[in-house]
Amino acid sequence: MTDVVTTINLAAIYGLIGVGISLTWAGLGFLNLAHGVTFAAGLYGAWWAQENISDHPSVIFLGGIVVGAIAGTVVWLSVFVPLDGKPNWDTRSIVASLGLAIIGVNTYFLVFGPQRKAIEYLFGTTKFKLAGSTITADKSGAIISASVVMLLVVVALVRSRIGLGVRALTQNPEGAALVGIGRRQAAFAILAVSGALAGFAAVLLSQVFYPEPNIGYLPLLKGLIVALLGGLGSIPGAVIAAFMVGATEAVTAHYLDQSWVLLTQFGLIAIVLLVRPRGVAGILEASRA
Amino acid sequence: MTPVLDLRKLSAGYGPLRVLHEIDLAVAGGERVGLVGLNGHGKTTLLRSVMGLVDWRRGEIELDGKSILRTPAHRLARAGIVLMPQGDALFPGLSVRDNLDSGAFAAGWRERKKRRDRVLQLFPRLADRLDQAAGTLSGGERRMCSLGRGLMPDARIFLIDEPSLGLAPGVAAGLYSTLKELDLAGGTLILAEQNQTLLEGWIGKIVRIHGGRIVGIEPGGAPSDGGPAVDEGRRTGT
Repeated sequence: MTDVVTTINLAAIYGLIGVGISLTWAGLGFLNLAHGVTFAAGLYGAWWAQENISDHPSVIFLGGIVVGAIAGTVVWLSVFVPLDGKPNWDTRSIVASLGLAIIGVNTYFLVFGPQRKAIEYLFGTTKFKLAGSTITADKSGAIISASVVMLLVVVALVRSRIGLGVRALTQNPEGAALVGIGRRQAAFAILAVSGALAGFAAVLLSQVFYPEPNIGYLPLLKGLIVALLGGLGSIPGAVIAAFMVGATEAVTAHYLDQSWVLLTQFGLIAIVLLVRPRGVAGILEASRA
Repeated sequence: MTPVLDLRKLSAGYGPLRVLHEIDLAVAGGERVGLVGLNGHGKTTLLRSVMGLVDWRRGEIELDGKSILRTPAHRLARAGIVLMPQGDALFPGLSVRDNLDSGAFAAGWRERKKRRDRVLQLFPRLADRLDQAAGTLSGGERRMCSLGRGLMPDARIFLIDEPSLGLAPGVAAGLYSTLKELDLAGGTLILAEQNQTLLEGWIGKIVRIHGGRIVGIEPGGAPSDGGPAVDEGRRTGT
């Protein structure tokens, strides 16, 4: 039971990060390696809000989300706007986002120093028992709030005008241009929302991942795994992949050791992509046909 | 009268390849123009170069007297130029409804629904397929979906690239009977078509393209032998 809760908890949070990477890649052809730095920006934003405004959970959350969105906007301004439409956009954007990530990490060192910061318990310290195992408030709080946010993203994608634009862009960039969807505008929406989601995920992980300059690397890696496994651009794929990745992590950590987690997760990718090169989205499509 | 769309000495191509050679073509508002010529002689490139979907262009393209050479495709779409391209450029994973709705991207949802209903009257086949992914449609339905999407916005210039391509003759004929009846509300139509007989009787002007050059402009309606006439290209419509 504990494994199940851990799985759902990790899945919810990795899903938030993975969806951003997946949408950015599918919609813009941009593998955003600065997403980890965006995650870290959200953490620092939450910490900064706690220290300077109020330690009320809503303020901390807002700090993480807003600063995450701002960091996403910085990626848009410094990578997408100058490079989009130039030859070799796909490789150049990877290199530029990697450069931005390095600059970001070193900026964190410069401004905040290497020390870890602490963020309050956001969902209190209550615990309750379910089917014989103890569930902490921050796990259940993370699961519920992440699911709600994820649902909101899906609804926005399906229902809103800009959501239709983003989905169209992931399907056929030329067709999107022909119906009047501006790539730059859509890119802004994708990167800012991805940043906000990463910031939100960062706050949810703030009990485990303390704000420190290099904190973004592991979440970036997990997000990439989720995006790859899910099939790029597929939200349902990313959600299912997040569960697979979360389950792998929970089971590996329980029966082997935490240090084996990345190994088994990459093993999972290798197997799934061998069978279905388009990831979970490919499996979904095959079963529909 | 200023032409709505004015191409002057327009050359265009892909990489080192030059497909169009100094095209001069002026199209007046409300005109229906047929681009006729063999495959690979520049019809598609001519339409795509208006939208900027080619590697390079030289010369001038004006919309209402203003140069649009530096305007990106999505801005042109918003300015009322709609291209229904070869290969349809649909969104295969999205439903037919979403594909159609994307055509009226800028409109409010009420207006979108109104226009979608109008399109569905033209292509009733699509009404049964609204929730189906566009990628699962048959070739003819896909073309209908693409044309339908192109008819969703409040466009003034319709560029249609070989709507009959790849379709069974019966399906193509059905599609053309719909196109003929189309009320473009004073809009301008430029239609590329290899098979000139499909244009006879309803297209006002036939522009012959051969080897990337305009080799003849003649009034539509008259039956012809279909071969590329050797004629000096001239500017019309001004």
